[in-house]
Amino acid sequence: MNNLSTVIINGMSFALPLFIMAIGGIYSERSGVTNLALEGLQGFGAFTGALAAYVIGMHLEADSMVPTYFAMLFAILGGMLFSLLHAVLCNYFKADMVISGVVINILAMAMTAFLTKTINKNIFGAASDKFVLGVMRRFDIPLISRIPVLGAFFTNLYPFEIIIAILAFAAWYLLYKTPFGLHLRAAGDNPAAVDAAGINVIRIRYLAVMMSGALSGLAGICFAYSISAKFSSDIYVGYGYLAIAALIFGGWKIIPTLGACLIFGFARSAGYQIVQQLGLPSSYSDLVMVLPYVLTLVLLVFLAHNSQAPRALGEAYDKSKR
Amino acid sequence: MNKKYDRVIVAAIAVFLGLIAGAVIILILKRNPISAYYSLLRGCGLAPKVKYAGGKNMLSDFSSFLDYMTPMLFAALAVVVAFKTGLFNIGVSGQMLVGSFLATILIGYSNIPSVLAKPLVIIIAAAGGGLIGGLIGYLKYRFNINEVVSSIMLNYTASYIIGFLINTRYVDPVSRQSRDIGANARLTLHQISIGSYKYDIPLGFILALVAIVAVKILLDKTVLGFEIKCVGANREAARYSGIKVGSSMVISMLISGVLSGIAGAVCYLGYISTIQPKVLSPTGFDAIAVCLVGGSSPVGILFSTFFLMIISKGSTYMSSQMGLEAEIASVITGLILLTSACSAFILERIKMIRRKRGAGE
Repeated sequence: MNNLSTVIINGMSFALPLFIMAIGGIYSERSGVTNLALEGLQGFGAFTGALAAYVIGMHLEADSMVPTYFAMLFAILGGMLFSLLHAVLCNYFKADMVISGVVINILAMAMTAFLTKTINKNIFGAASDKFVLGVMRRFDIPLISRIPVLGAFFTNLYPFEIIIAILAFAAWYLLYKTPFGLHLRAAGDNPAAVDAAGINVIRIRYLAVMMSGALSGLAGICFAYSISAKFSSDIYVGYGYLAIAALIFGGWKIIPTLGACLIFGFARSAGYQIVQQLGLPSSYSDLVMVLPYVLTLVLLVFLAHNSQAPRALGEAYDKSKR
Repeated sequence: MNKKYDRVIVAAIAVFLGLIAGAVIILILKRNPISAYYSLLRGCGLAPKVKYAGGKNMLSDFSSFLDYMTPMLFAALAVVVAFKTGLFNIGVSGQMLVGSFLATILIGYSNIPSVLAKPLVIIIAAAGGGLIGGLIGYLKYRFNINEVVSSIMLNYTASYIIGFLINTRYVDPVSRQSRDIGANARLTLHQISIGSYKYDIPLGFILALVAIVAVKILLDKTVLGFEIKCVGANREAARYSGIKVGSSMVISMLISGVLSGIAGAVCYLGYISTIQPKVLSPTGFDAIAVCLVGGSSPVGILFSTFFLMIISKGSTYMSSQMGLEAEIASVITGLILLTSACSAFILERIKMIRRKRGAGE
């Protein structure tokens, strides 16, 4: 396999989970709910997913793919459930949305670390702070993967990449082509008008936040099954924040956000490839890890003042102020 | 009824609800929550332990507790100052790291006499932290970059670059952390024998009290403090009244960064004496919690730091005594945070009850 293919393959498997998480963030923020909780939501989703895989995997043969798909399902459910906390804090308790997001992140880290240890000790009888998952089995799409260069996009795929691609398209369709999507986008720009049209703003916001929880949870389990090959507190390395940066770049729109995620993904995989090609010691790969973060800052310097946030972003909707 | 009194009540209610929720979890794990909470106090030298190791007594436990809470005082104060301008400094950990790393390599490994080395450590760490804090403020003011995003990006950037530098230049091959700094540069007088007991004397603690008073004076008695609070209360109104909103933001983030830098110094060159590569201190994130519970007031955080640090410092002892995972401490802290985030709601409810009572009379 040549260098370019490796960069494409590794770049895509990082960019796609990031992208699906960013789409969740777009849903939440377009509906008017600031969502810094993505980091915690993806971690919590990864936790519930990994736990499900463990429990189900105990009764099956070692190489079965069934636990993997259950893990994804439970990650989606877990992320959705945990995101309700954010939705309730923001919509019912009228908490500051930024603070709520940070609180959710801190709580998710604390709870998953505590639960992982407690469950390992009391149920599985092992003193461990992680659930080992391994890496998902990869596959090639026949024929098209043989195309030179571009074929790399269809080579060595994780199954979740296909799932993400389908979900991303569905999410795009829902947001831009359906009445629900229109209401959601309007709820973030002018909630009073949406309310006047007889649509329940709070309900839309609850659904939007749950959507972000579900998609973040999925992203979390994808990272757990690819980059980290386990669930542990290592899952909290800031990918959630990276997804937020990506959606801000993308101006809260889905297609440009995909571009931002691809930039992050390829910057990261290209950096690793360069370190490897030059034969540098492994400590140099830490410098590569910096690339997406620095790139974000640099790009934001050029793009941030052009991007238009949803107008009612971060304000709890108060009917009495209409 | 005055406003300050209300805020204290609300904070107390939030903390109480959080502790109740924590107690429920402890009950589910079939342990006694009261003795669990009491063992937290024992772990911090606030209640007598059953047995002490040689050279230890209640006072020496308490001295290490003060040593432990000193970084948090500075970190929480840093969050408070930024918060007053309506900015959210989630980058305290990164600023701590940058400040303390510079102080470690410039002073920590030198032979400068301690009278000179200790103040220099603080100055260098403050400058390093201030630089990053100021940069975040500038990016916000000049390019409209959300301070939360830029702080996080700088956190990871700092963490990886400093991790790389430590691993390639300053690493101790055994501990895999940066080499220990000299006693001359350390801000905690570590394990000093007085009589037959050994104490950790945190010099930074006194400095922290001074900083709290200084920030209180700055916010309440100076023009700059007034401007900072105006910008935080209503950015547009502040702009129309002729306050330079941008420079107020940059200055408050600069001050916040300076305080974070000092927090880093009293942590990495005080409470401990090395830096672990590629690990961001949780202090910076927990500081947000402390600030929230303390009602984002300089005096309030003195109490909330004391209280929340009992939970986190005492957790080791609790874990050994009760057989509970030490991580439960951060879960309890998280629950307290959750209830504190609803403090506006609680305040509203209190007012409503009061109004109803007023109408009834």
